[in-house]
Formats: sequence, structure tokens, C-alpha cells
Amino acid sequence: MVNFAFLDWFWLVVFILLMIMCGVLFYRLGKRSMADFFLAGRGLPWWLPAASVYATHSATDTPMWISGVIYKYGLRGIWYTFFSAWCAISAFASTRIFRRSLAYTQAEWQTLRFSGLGAELLRGWIAGWGWQVFMNMFVLGWVGIAMGKLCHYLFGWPDWVGLIVFSSICAIYVLTAGYWGVIMADFQQGVIAFSVIVIVSIWGIVAAGGPQQIISKLDSLGQSWRLNPFAFTGLTSGEFPLVWFLTMLVIAVIGGFGMGTAIDWYPEAQRIQSAKTVRDASYSIWAGSALIVVRNSLWAVAILAFFSLYPTIKSTADYEMAWYRLGFEFLPVGLVGFFFAAVVAIHLSTISTHLNLGASYATRDLYHHYFKPQASERELVWVGRISTLILLLGSFVYGLMMQEITQWLIFALWIMAAGIWLPSILQVVWWRFNSWGYLSSWIANLGLSWLIVWILPEFKIIPPLPDYLQFWIMMVLGGLIYIPITFLTPPEDMDRLVKYYAMSRPLGWWKPVRQEAERRGLLRYDEQFKEGSI
Amino acid sequence: MGWIQTKWTAEQADDWTKEDYLSFILSPLVYFLLALGVALSLLLLWYGWVILGASIILLVVMIKIIDPKLKAVSRDYEAKQKKYLEELEKIERWEE
Repeated sequence: MVNFAFLDWFWLVVFILLMIMCGVLFYRLGKRSMADFFLAGRGLPWWLPAASVYATHSATDTPMWISGVIYKYGLRGIWYTFFSAWCAISAFASTRIFRRSLAYTQAEWQTLRFSGLGAELLRGWIAGWGWQVFMNMFVLGWVGIAMGKLCHYLFGWPDWVGLIVFSSICAIYVLTAGYWGVIMADFQQGVIAFSVIVIVSIWGIVAAGGPQQIISKLDSLGQSWRLNPFAFTGLTSGEFPLVWFLTMLVIAVIGGFGMGTAIDWYPEAQRIQSAKTVRDASYSIWAGSALIVVRNSLWAVAILAFFSLYPTIKSTADYEMAWYRLGFEFLPVGLVGFFFAAVVAIHLSTISTHLNLGASYATRDLYHHYFKPQASERELVWVGRISTLILLLGSFVYGLMMQEITQWLIFALWIMAAGIWLPSILQVVWWRFNSWGYLSSWIANLGLSWLIVWILPEFKIIPPLPDYLQFWIMMVLGGLIYIPITFLTPPEDMDRLVKYYAMSRPLGWWKPVRQEAERRGLLRYDEQFKEGSI
Repeated sequence: MGWIQTKWTAEQADDWTKEDYLSFILSPLVYFLLALGVALSLLLLWYGWVILGASIILLVVMIKIIDPKLKAVSRDYEAKQKKYLEELEKIERWEE
């Protein structure tokens, strides 16, 4: 339990009022149109979506998870957090292609890239009945209950209080101002959260006696391997094998050529479309993720400091609280409240993003596309608000039953990442890859992941496999299904492909489409450029 | 860096060129070095500062390579955006 002084409560109340003001101040902008309610009118300079990328991916459970891997694996644990590096290539490849499509959502992009029934099935699957609306509700519940548990640890409140109170405060500015409220609040939250992460981490390092003392302590404990980010346990053996590291690098970095190779692509897609130019979109994704990389390293050293202070903690649940403990146990009175306000900032930025993002799929891809294509802008903004409210209420239900379903959620995230990783790249870089190929990869992935992760090991037909091996097996087996299906079904309609090519100028193997676009006079060329002088 | 093109017409910038491929290589490398450099510098290890310095230099190089091209792509694209948005609304409302 933590005791708050007056100054601590003061910081918290001021911060919450600032957030609610975002809703009031930007109410008029948010209600102008669906493009304003979900994309802030596509006019943001790069640093606003960048702050939002950073703030969104700093959730209440993020320091717990990072504390867990660093406490367990030492500095090499930073590679567990390196998945955000998919943005490194994406910022200059898939981000550029996606921004040029002008799709509101990834689901909508499917109907610009593909055509016919397959495209509609994909859009429906990604938007509503299979993925994004429910996934956002899941994430809201998951992050919300992490806040509930933190409030229980700090104040002794029942878990549901922290879940409902802070998500509801957040809903005020998301409901009133939509994405305008989200992005403006995210900017403040990003600045506050990053400042506090720097302060608390350095405070923790100083509390442990400084860097030299941490290194000496680890030496004396026989734990100096914790300072080596490349302390592999073998090629394929041990808890940190080299092949795991290489697999992670391939997934993270090459994944940037695709769309949807990482679960984080979906909120990023919204930020990409809200940027005012292609250049702003690229820099926003790059800079936001660079801040995440820096943040992870700050946290990592702070957790090493914590380890040098408390080297014998065995319970995962205990050492996952390491970074929070540095803040709440070592900061002076008055700053503790500021620290908690920053934790609330971290929390609200994630909640607001997923409320608005889930509502955008429900409004744009379900209501507008399937139910009422002629709906007015005013009606669509109201549907956006009602969808936000439904997501909020759904997240309470998910959050309260999360204890039982966390394992299933982790499994769901894993199957999302593994079997559709390559198809998510192919849909961007290869003209011949069609909607049936992509759709079949999703279906194959569902079946194969159940078989490889759960059923076959359960019946002892195969041994339980390390996750990097599961990834490669699912990728190969999935390919044996979706590649033949792609070639056995016709290519996408050339009219659609040419239109998509002229708009997006995708990267990769698009020669037949490009030639057809040239034949139709859709591409302009400088003669000097054509002759290969550059 | 004479071998890097710094003046682009919109037509040229629409294609994928060596400047893009260089940014695909430099960008993850900068992230990688940044992750290592920040952590090791905070531990006051000298090679941490070297790695951090290298990541900043590579970042500047990357921006010098890709920024002129991104500016050209953006300039051209902004001019077309209105027409594309109208097209998008037609597809959305099933009018095409």
C-alpha cells in the first residue's frame, strides 16, 4: 500500500483534468466528419502521431512484462522487446504504400488491393466478425485489468475499480472528440510518460549505487553475464539460443515489408493515415518506434539496478513489479503522485487508442460499408460514438474474466503472428498473390497453430516445440496450402490491380501490372529517368 | 555523397531506387545500435557511448539519403490526394 500526500493527489487530479479538457477543446473538430472523428482530418504533422505511437505502446502492463524478461534474462532480455523494430523498414516501405492508398483501416485496404467476394470476406474478417473489433475489446480488457491490479497493489481497491474508473475517464474525451482527443491527449501523455520513465529509471540506478556499483554487485554475485546482451546459451539449446535471436530479428525486421505482420500494425495504420503527407507518415512511425526502443533500454538498465538490490526474488509476479517498485519505494513524497499520474498517462493512451480504433472498424468497415453506404457524416460520427461505448462496456466484461482467458489471448496473438506473417508480406509485394491465397492462409493458420501448439504435443505425436521452431514450421506448412490455392484461383481483376498500382506504387514484383498501367497511360515518366540515367 | 540523388522530380520519386534500399538497411541498423547504445551508455561503459554515437551518425546519414525523396513523393502525392479521396468514397459507397 502507498500513502498519498496532498501534493500526490494534486498531480493526479491536475492530470485527469488536462485529459478531459482535450475532449472539450477538440469537440468541435471531432464531430465535423468521419475523417475527423477517426483520422483528425488527415492533417497531422509527424510529431503528433509519433508521440501517439510511443504513448499507445507504453501500456500499464508493458513495464511489468519488460521487468519480467530483464530480471530473468539480464540485458539480453532487450531482444525480447525488439519486435517493435518492424517499424524500421515499414516506415519507408509499407507505411509509404499504405499512406498512398488512403484507406481508413487495414480492412478497407483489402478491398483496394483485392477485388470481388474474396476481398469482401477479408474485409469483414479483419474488421468485425473475426478480428479487429473483438481484438481491440480484448486489449482494452487486458490493459484495463492490469490497471485494476496495480490500483489493488497501491491502494487496496478491488480490481474492478481501477479497471472501470480509469477506462471511463478516458472514454469521456474519446467519445466527445474522437481521434482529435486521442492524439492531443496522447501527445501530453507521451511527454509526461517519457519524462517519468527517464526520472524513475535514473533514480533507480542511483538508488542502487550508480552504474559502477551495479556492475560490481553483479560481479560479486557471479551474475556478470547479465550485462552481456549477447549471452547466448547455444545455437539451439538453453533458454536463450542463437536461433531464437535470429528468428526474432527476421520476424521483426523483414516484417516491415508487409501489412499486418505485427499486431501493432493496426493502430499504426490509423496513425499513418492521420499524418498530413507521406513523409510525415514515415517519420511518425519511425520516430515513435525509436522512442520505444530507447524506452526499453532505459527500463532494462533500471531493472538491472533493481536486480542488484533484490537479487533473490523467485516469484515472477513479484519481480514483474520491479520498475513500479523503484518508483513507489524510492521516489520522495510529492513525486510519487506525479509518478502515478504518469502511470495513468501510460494507461489512458493505450485505452483511448483502442477505443477509437475498434470503433473505426465498426463504423467504417461494418456500418458504413455493409449496412448504410449512404449514411451522412453526422450519422457516422454518432455511430462512431455508440461503437466506442459498446467497446468500453465489452472491455469491462473481458477485463473481469481475463484471469481465465489470458492464456488463450496469448495463444491468439501468437497464431496471429506466425502463419500469416509471410502472406501479409506477399499481399504487399507480389501482384499474383490473391484474396483467396490470403484468406486461405488465415484459415490454415488457425488449424495448424492448434495442431502444432496444442493437439499434437498433447497426444505426444510431436514433442512440445520452442516458439521459434513453431514459427518456421507453421510458415512452411501454411505455404504448402496458400501457394497452391493462389495458383489454382484466378489473379485479381486487372482493372483493380492497375488502379491500386497507380495509387499506391507498391514495392516488389508488379511488372505485368505496371506494364498495363503504362499502356493505359496512368503512369507519367520523365524520359531521362526512363533511360536509366540514375 | 555525390552518388546519392538529392533532387527528384515527382515521377522519379515514385519508383523504388537505391536510396530506398539504403534506408531499408540503415533504419533497422540504427534501431539495433540505439537499443544497445542507450543501455550500455547508461551503465557508463565506453563502448556504449561509441555505439550510441554510431547510431546517431547513421541516423543523420539515413535522413540525408531518404528525406529529399520523401519530400518529392509527398509533394506530388498531395496534389493527387483530393482526387484519390473522391475515388475512395465511390468504392466505399459501392458506386464504382
